[in-house]
Amino acid sequence: MHGRVKVRTTEEEKARKERERQEKLKIFKYAMQKIQSKRKSSELDKELLELTGKVLSSNPDIYTLWNIRRDILNIFRKNNEADESLSQMFDAELHLTEYCLKINPKSYCAWHQREWVLTTRTDPDWSTELSLCNTYLKLDSRNFHTWDYRRFVVSQCKPPLKVEFDFTTDKLLEDFSNYSAWHYRSKMLVELYPDLEGGRPIEDSHHKHELKMVQSAAFTDPDDTSAWFYQRWLLGAVKTTIRLVTYVIAPKKATFAFSKHVDLSFVRSKTFLLINNQEIVGEWYSCTGNMYDVLWVFKHWASITDALDIKVMYENNDGIKEEILSSKCSNSPYIGRTEIDFERKYSAPVVEELNNQLEACRQLLELEPDSKWTLLTTTVFLHCINSRLNYKEVMENLKTLKNVDKLRAGYYSDLITKWSVEEQLYSDYKSDNRQFKVRFTETMSSLPHLQYYSFCEEVDLSNQNLSSKVLPSLIVLQHCKKLSLANNKLTSLRYFPILDLEELNLKGNELDKNEIELLKTSKNYNIIY
Amino acid sequence: MDDDLPTDFQVIVVGTGMVESIVAAACSRIGKNVLHLDSSDHYGGLWASYNFDGLQKFIKEVNADPKRQLQVYNLIEKWYIEKDSPQDEKKEDDENKTDDTKSEPVKKIWSHASFTAEYRKFNIDMTPKLLFSRGPLVELLISSNIARYAEFRCVTRVLTWLNDKLMPVPCSRADVFATEAVSIVEKRMLMKMLTSIVGYNEEEMNNEFKDWNDKTFKEYLSHKGLTPNLIHYVLFAIAGGTNNMPCLEGVKECKKFLMSLGRYGNTPFLWPMYGSGELPQCFCRLCAVFGGVYCLNRPIDKVETKTVDDKMVVTIDSKSKTLNCDHLVIGINECPKNLISPEPAESCDISKAVFITNGSIMPSEKEPLTLLRFPPLTDDDNAVTVLEVGPATGSCPKGLYVVYFITNKVKDAESDLKPYAEKIFDMSGGDQTQTADKPKCLWSLFYNVKDTSAPVASSADAVHVCSGPDAGLDFDRAVEQAEQIFKKICPGEEFLPRAPDPEEIVFEDDVTHGPEFQREEDDADGDAPKE
Repeated sequence: MHGRVKVRTTEEEKARKERERQEKLKIFKYAMQKIQSKRKSSELDKELLELTGKVLSSNPDIYTLWNIRRDILNIFRKNNEADESLSQMFDAELHLTEYCLKINPKSYCAWHQREWVLTTRTDPDWSTELSLCNTYLKLDSRNFHTWDYRRFVVSQCKPPLKVEFDFTTDKLLEDFSNYSAWHYRSKMLVELYPDLEGGRPIEDSHHKHELKMVQSAAFTDPDDTSAWFYQRWLLGAVKTTIRLVTYVIAPKKATFAFSKHVDLSFVRSKTFLLINNQEIVGEWYSCTGNMYDVLWVFKHWASITDALDIKVMYENNDGIKEEILSSKCSNSPYIGRTEIDFERKYSAPVVEELNNQLEACRQLLELEPDSKWTLLTTTVFLHCINSRLNYKEVMENLKTLKNVDKLRAGYYSDLITKWSVEEQLYSDYKSDNRQFKVRFTETMSSLPHLQYYSFCEEVDLSNQNLSSKVLPSLIVLQHCKKLSLANNKLTSLRYFPILDLEELNLKGNELDKNEIELLKTSKNYNIIY
Repeated sequence: MDDDLPTDFQVIVVGTGMVESIVAAACSRIGKNVLHLDSSDHYGGLWASYNFDGLQKFIKEVNADPKRQLQVYNLIEKWYIEKDSPQDEKKEDDENKTDDTKSEPVKKIWSHASFTAEYRKFNIDMTPKLLFSRGPLVELLISSNIARYAEFRCVTRVLTWLNDKLMPVPCSRADVFATEAVSIVEKRMLMKMLTSIVGYNEEEMNNEFKDWNDKTFKEYLSHKGLTPNLIHYVLFAIAGGTNNMPCLEGVKECKKFLMSLGRYGNTPFLWPMYGSGELPQCFCRLCAVFGGVYCLNRPIDKVETKTVDDKMVVTIDSKSKTLNCDHLVIGINECPKNLISPEPAESCDISKAVFITNGSIMPSEKEPLTLLRFPPLTDDDNAVTVLEVGPATGSCPKGLYVVYFITNKVKDAESDLKPYAEKIFDMSGGDQTQTADKPKCLWSLFYNVKDTSAPVASSADAVHVCSGPDAGLDFDRAVEQAEQIFKKICPGEEFLPRAPDPEEIVFEDDVTHGPEFQREEDDADGDAPKE
């Protein structure tokens, strides 16, 4: 009987595959050798182009070969090859990358080669590229290489942004677990729909719509983090103002603290010191020496005596010059402070939406009291809507979260610290006291907003949870005389900054005796240990 | 020709329904010598798909001789359109409309004549069914490699009838995200319910449901705090149940639905291209590839069992020829009554209807393929399953949809199903071009089918009786029964092992080899177009 069905056994199949593999390896080795030798002898010709192409089409990630190909193509370009044949070569190159991307859709070098071809050739066809992106994203909607390339293509051919925006909507409706799509969306949102009147990043109705959309995703699958990220971004999309929070003009030193990190040109162009209505000339130095800093030192030559009229002109975000007057008590420098304001400035419709969403979260909490996502979102909403009014509830929730979600306890601690400091600042800035003493019960694990306290003479950070890694940030305490770090978790003083102190309390830390001695000899202030 | 037919087989299969065909393929696949007969001129029996002409013949046959098709009764065919197309009027219409309705092409006016002209483009199922993407039939098609003989389309949406209108059912994660029909808190509740049902392991299942044995699924869903809307979606659309559905059955059905999500499309279902009638034929094809012999138009006259040399043998008389076999596999409709023991209990029959309409029940951007699950409209009714398939499935010409209705019989097919049909179709006839909320029904067919799906024991060990189609949504019971029958015939043998692809087959023959084909040296260009 002939034509009888006999199927290869797995052993036979394995042997056959192994033979094929060996065969391939032989060809590969031979080809690579030939490529190397041709390159050494500078034979950058069509044959080499063909050879590298063949190897790449089964191993698309050998970037050396792509480099060689670019060299070859550049030579043909410089040799004034006829437009038509050059165009054909570039087409072939695109073909090759497309083929390689089919083998490995996440090949960095193949995507890069494609970008190079399109920016190098004189006749790029962008619409083809855009539809290529569509095809690839259909096959894998989360391939960030393709999204990256899409942004490149879009930056070149500039299709209507709305079309691109709608494209992300479609992709998200298919599967919202897609960081790339949410990210791309956020980029276009601020371009397409800025709030021109209110100066906010996103126009009200769109801000609301996005909040709704992302809430829908978060409620559908709370374990998917992509939606939460976008939600946080949306909540943070408020008008940001950089403010001058406090300045201190002492005979020895003048410092200016800002709410955010700013650079020299910012400080120089917006901040002006006036003594007896006379603008003072001087030079600015950041206190850490970094380009961006929250505390800037102003070196000037004016002598600071009693009974001067000192004020600062500061140009805020809206271009309006504020006059910040100083006050002076006996034996103290001139100190100017502005009002504390950490509230996020949402528009009324957005606040309304946030309140609705808060309500939905609360309903859900009744059903699922143990859901950490719901509790965290509730807490974030409470803080964003009115941080002062909701302060107590926010703190309670964060403490609960520390227990429910132990893996992120540190994150919640940092939030507690930051928001507690913010709350304390409101009252501290109302008193004339030049002391900073922690008045909330939770211990601090970091030192946020410390520049706000740069005017203080006495800073008491005792009995907190501070480790040595916070030491460098103490540099903003430029006017501090008495600093206490007693009973913390300090283990080394290596990064203790240079400060003009009179007394430093380091009791109750597990520090090396030698280090203390060394500090004592090098510093001329009193060290208690 | 008849003389060529050998007379001795290991297995003879009579009837080409789903169960029979799977058994035939399985036996042939492991090397049994199989003869497969059918009394009619086409494959599938009650599982068949017909083109419009074939369907007309079937209707005529049933009406002319009710005794020939005992399983089908109460058959009523109705036209809602003219015999001939009004050619002149249509042209006039075209001219009038060119100005203002450029974007929307003028609706074609259908008639008996235009149906007849395009009869070959219809594939109308007698037993329309869906496949669960992770159900036993899909797994079997893949594991046996029979899937290469078939093509499928994903069902694009699941609809239900809620608050007197059609509503899409959010069943996948993407649906729940996109829907605006439920509130944000409901989204969370729905997702939580769905994921927990899928996620429970056996122990958790027993724990969660230990007190629910004698309660309904609806009670469970309300107990879990689901809102009435959500209960509707889960109970009627996802579990396909009714108010009385027992809790554990509901959970099982939900799980089956949910487990099949996310494999192929946005819903858990596949629909066979060109109709469900294709599927028995795929199995027949495999049977034939492995040497099975096929004879259509071959009614059998007599079946006898006798013992020869201590071995039970079945003989069949067909067209005055006697055929012998060790095992007879026979569809219940072809089976002589004396072989069935005992008579199957009278069960609830099935009411079915087919409609041809000029538009989808809920138009969408891309051609939809819809499963609609109607909850019972009155307390006496059963739930109604509706399948709407369009031209892309090869079921009908462009511009038309074929819509199937299936339910358990209460009175008769027309009274059981017409009230449901009227909810979603315009059944008044009249002007086909006019745009309305509902699509026009152009043609309808109501009929009842005897339910022969209960497994039936035969009076002889060597005779295996195959059930007919059930009212269920899927083919699961057919696959299960076929496997059982196969295990009885060939104990210890593998059920439909993977059939090799052509390139895996080595030809060992005694003829001299021709020159070997030279392979191109590099594999790299494998996919590149050949020159």
